Amino acid sequence: MALPKRIIKETERLVAEPVPGIQAIPHDDNLRYFDVSIHGPAQSPYEGGVFKLELFLPEDYPMTPPKIRFLTKIYHPNIDRLGRICLDVLKANWSPALQIRTILLSIQALLGAPNPDDPLANDVAQRWKEDEPGAIATAREWTQTHAAP
Amino acid sequence: MAPSRSSKNSLQSVDLRALDYLTSPSANLLCPICHAPLITPVQTRCLHTFCSACISLSLERSLTCPVDRKPLNHDDVTPAPIMIANLVNDLVVLCPNREKGCTTSCARWLVESHVREDCEFAAIKCAKEGCDGMVERREAEGECVHEEVECAFCQGPIRKLDIEIHYKECPKLSSDCRYCSKSFPNPELGAHKLICPDEVIDCAASHFGCSYSSRRSELDEHLSHCHFVALTPILQLHTERIETLELENKAVRQKLDLLVPPRPLPTQGSGANSSTANDYNSAGRDMTSEMQDYTYHLYSEYEQLRSDVERLNAQIRELDVKQDMARFNEGLRYNDEMAGVRAAINGLRMQLHWLVASRRETGAGGAGAAAGPRSIGGSSVGGDGRRMSVDSARQVVKL
Repeated sequence: MALPKRIIKETERLVAEPVPGIQAIPHDDNLRYFDVSIHGPAQSPYEGGVFKLELFLPEDYPMTPPKIRFLTKIYHPNIDRLGRICLDVLKANWSPALQIRTILLSIQALLGAPNPDDPLANDVAQRWKEDEPGAIATAREWTQTHAAP
Repeated sequence: MAPSRSSKNSLQSVDLRALDYLTSPSANLLCPICHAPLITPVQTRCLHTFCSACISLSLERSLTCPVDRKPLNHDDVTPAPIMIANLVNDLVVLCPNREKGCTTSCARWLVESHVREDCEFAAIKCAKEGCDGMVERREAEGECVHEEVECAFCQGPIRKLDIEIHYKECPKLSSDCRYCSKSFPNPELGAHKLICPDEVIDCAASHFGCSYSSRRSELDEHLSHCHFVALTPILQLHTERIETLELENKAVRQKLDLLVPPRPLPTQGSGANSSTANDYNSAGRDMTSEMQDYTYHLYSEYEQLRSDVERLNAQIRELDVKQDMARFNEGLRYNDEMAGVRAAINGLRMQLHWLVASRRETGAGGAGAAAGPRSIGGSSVGGDGRRMSVDSARQVVKL
């Protein structure tokens, strides 16, 4: 099936006017599959790390949300060991008016503002609530070990 | 007139969403869903504008406005003001047959009729009777290109359309080699191309980094002193080893991914929870393969059991509902039956009352007693009297 014009336009714009700190490059052989890298936001435990993600646009995109997963290991209460992300706009709150760039910005914002009250990785969230400085230190350590640019 | 006109109409359909615009349209005229200039614009109750098709598709999945997430129904969507429709319909688009050579550009509302009736590059049905082929409108006037003709050289049947291509391959013809300009019969040309001394080719070790290229006849000399060629066997060996290692690495990583559970295993107490997960993590690195297999086995078993429990739960719920339904139905049936029985008992009671009353009348030696049942509804006075006595008798029985 031919690639919808919307996906072509979005890709062109992502390449021509990239969002600062976010890079999304489509695969040559499958233009619905993107290699994404997000820079950890400043003043967060992820600062200085570059996190790799994979993004796939399903057949009925934009009616259904893109599928996104972290490939780089990350210590975050809303991201589990398999890299799956707990973010409302990726599930029930998806709207076809959202785009790849807005979703990636939301993920970058999630790195800057972890939400241990709506956890996906229970052990991380527990620690975040009970010993926040310790959890942040671990997150910083993981960033240095796994997400060094 | 009519049929000849319709046969000249193109059946090519125009996808309005895939059109290219002469100038990039204002962002205000783009649909927030498909990001193309609006097609059949509609407006929502919250005053956002979408293509009619886009918003219907979106409402099928979620009854909210895609822009502000306010609740939205199919009834809340009305055609947008005519002005918006006119603005987008007047945008100038390029003909969809641009790649075939059409240079026309026109307002968007005209493009469908342009392709259907005017575009020289639109595909229309071949004019020849009985021919099913398609041909571009500009070539429709000539003779049918779909009929087969005989190749002048090999006598094979070839469609007129393909004859130019066929001449390049016809086994009875010769073609010139691209590199050495010598002429060879077509069947031999392929073999010659592999050995043509004038073709410029890359060094045999080009994939290891040698950038040298020259004519085939002169390459031998280079090969004899090329460092890359000398190193080829060892480089080849390394490449193969790297590939095997990469494969192995990939397999190991997959195994590791499977090992690390998607959520922590359930344990007693919340404090134990995080420490178990940490142990798990650190232990995961130095576990022997046997341990890994065992953990993976345990984990998969746990997952399986969990799904089993979920399935059983669902079945129990289903059975509950079924049973409730059955009980309710049965209750209804019993109610009906009870009502029937109650009615029958009432009837019997009436009959009993009447019998008791008549017996009493006979016992009292009433003159009309023998004729009791037959004279009911006889003379009005007698009837009244009897009824009264019946009533009093019933009261006696009741008491």
